[in-house]
Amino acid sequence: MLTNLQRKETVIESISVDISRRTRQIEEIFTLDPGQVAGLSGLPGSGLTRVGLSLIAPYAQQGALAFLDVRGWMSPAAAWEMGIAPERFVVVRTRDIITWGRIVAALLDGVRGVYAEVPNGVKDASLHKLVAKARTKRTALVLRPLNGQLPRGIAHLNLTAREVIWDGTDVGHGRLTTRRILLDASGKSTRGMERIIEVEDDGTNDLRVVPHMGTQTSRRLA
Amino acid sequence: MWFPTWALRRPDVSHDHPAQAVDGSNRVVARNQLAAACGVTIGMQRRSAEAICPTVLTIVSDESADMNRFEHVVVQIETMVPKVEISAPGLLFLPIDGAVGYYGGELPLVERISKELASIGGDYRIGLAAGPFAAYQAARATTLLEPALLVGDDELFLASLDVGTLTSADLAATFRWLGITTLGSLADLPKQAIISRFGREGFVAHQLARGIDRLVDPRTIPQDPAVESSFDPPINDFEQASFVARNLSQRLISGLGESGVAPHRVIVSATAADGTVRSRTWRNADPFSDKTLADRIRWQLRAWIDGVSAGVRGGLVSLRLEPADLSGSGRQMALEEDAGSFEEMQRAFMEVQALAGADNLLMSSPQGGRDPWQRVMWTRWGDEKGSPAYDPHAPWPGQIPSPSPALVPPAPVPLEVSWVAGMPEHVRLRSRWVPVLSWAGPWRSVGKWWAGESSADRYQIVTSAGAYLCEIREGKTYLIGVYD
Repeated sequence: MLTNLQRKETVIESISVDISRRTRQIEEIFTLDPGQVAGLSGLPGSGLTRVGLSLIAPYAQQGALAFLDVRGWMSPAAAWEMGIAPERFVVVRTRDIITWGRIVAALLDGVRGVYAEVPNGVKDASLHKLVAKARTKRTALVLRPLNGQLPRGIAHLNLTAREVIWDGTDVGHGRLTTRRILLDASGKSTRGMERIIEVEDDGTNDLRVVPHMGTQTSRRLA
Repeated sequence: MWFPTWALRRPDVSHDHPAQAVDGSNRVVARNQLAAACGVTIGMQRRSAEAICPTVLTIVSDESADMNRFEHVVVQIETMVPKVEISAPGLLFLPIDGAVGYYGGELPLVERISKELASIGGDYRIGLAAGPFAAYQAARATTLLEPALLVGDDELFLASLDVGTLTSADLAATFRWLGITTLGSLADLPKQAIISRFGREGFVAHQLARGIDRLVDPRTIPQDPAVESSFDPPINDFEQASFVARNLSQRLISGLGESGVAPHRVIVSATAADGTVRSRTWRNADPFSDKTLADRIRWQLRAWIDGVSAGVRGGLVSLRLEPADLSGSGRQMALEEDAGSFEEMQRAFMEVQALAGADNLLMSSPQGGRDPWQRVMWTRWGDEKGSPAYDPHAPWPGQIPSPSPALVPPAPVPLEVSWVAGMPEHVRLRSRWVPVLSWAGPWRSVGKWWAGESSADRYQIVTSAGAYLCEIREGKTYLIGVYD
């Protein structure tokens, strides 16, 4: 009886050690070092704006951050809620595909982190040049194509939104509180392997990587 | 109040002999009338000055010792006008709002001060204007025979001055190259044009030229920002006090830096063992850094400890630094950034402004309001932040709770939602209908009904593709935010 209990305890302990090790590994994946580039793909509403902001948010301690807003929809309140000071956050609005690359290049010269929405029609060569510049200037760069995905080999970390699960709302009451975002991660940072990252976003703090124990499927209201 | 030859007021400098004071980089910072008559000018290299005036006596300026001697003057002035602000040894600013009423006008006050200064002796100048920059320039425009100048209109007075009076020599040279030779011609240029070409530095120069040099942007600081150190046993040694001053100034500047501000004025207060409290205000046109502030405190402590004002009896038991006139303009220097990267940022933003247009490089700040679009106040980069259109401290009932949507369309976008028995059933996203998983609301916004504005109900709708903030106004559903 006692031996069985001890065995179960050992198994539970090894599982928890395994979970914490996995979480740590995923946390390492879910960071962007200076000069690295992340690519985000997914529909609006999948939580990728906040994911992208959380990747560059640590650099707000060192300098300014810039958001290149192609759609003209960006609301800085989401950035403030992540702890980015308003004085440290600048939004650039442009729809012009011709000057887009030059604006990103200029921002890479002067700020510590850039989140840039990529309009349709930007050439691969332009993206490669910007990646090289980000590496040289040691500026973290997050690229979010408005349609489709980035070409292969551009981003150090590719994140694709798989699913988003919201808590807090029901049938006409409550309010949005927390969401879990399931992301497919690939690229050099995952050492070529496809990984699933699950992050929790409570809207007031930085995003938190949580151990992915299994995906809860979306449910339909009864 | 300016003493142009203060650095030369030393016992070893003769009045009937040409004399000049040089700083650490061997540039002339002060010279007497005889040296000036020989052609020695401020800013000249020591070697050049000695070449044109071989008999000139050269002394190396020691600001700490200068301040030690200047303390005597400050004490005398303080008996007439309180809250004196020291900018450098030999340069004082007096806030005279109260004193003007007490002495019966500006002219009687200036006469009273002139009389007091005449008793001290030597070359003194007085400039009176609405702002410190104009007052300093007025003092500089005076002569030995007419040592006081009262300025009625700052902008008018500054208009005829050369752009070289601005602190940045590079900027002044660029202005001259562009044909802008006076502060008046600079002030006439549109603010936006100056900002887009010269950034913040140009904006500051433009403001100064217009006579607006209270650039301080008062900000709310969450807690008492003052720092204080107590000493047991009391400090009697000046070197030890200097060390404490450096630590304390670092604590103050780094503490303020966390709130994104830096001080333009600092009140230094020292308590002696016998209970005497001495206090002095130091000011600077640029926000203080820890080094510049430590220098000022060191000079002040030396003036108190070694000076003529009876010393600090029994030693120093506490030292307190209290910031005033906090400004956000020193922020970048305080947060692990060096001046170089701040300049890089300015340059990058100016380039972006040129590419994207001045209206498309935006800073934002929080304000009140019920809807997400109302809660962001946009300001063009380089512009002064205006007052919020929606009071951030008002309660705003019906406000959408946090988290805020990351995407907010500039105008509500029509959204197709199928409603069954008053509940949302499906939402049309692009070409397909997506089932609603859950929803919350409504949060009702009554709107300005007296201005004909209709009321609206706001809902948070969750689908498998994400969550959306919608409003129903006059029977139609609109998308007003995406929780991206």
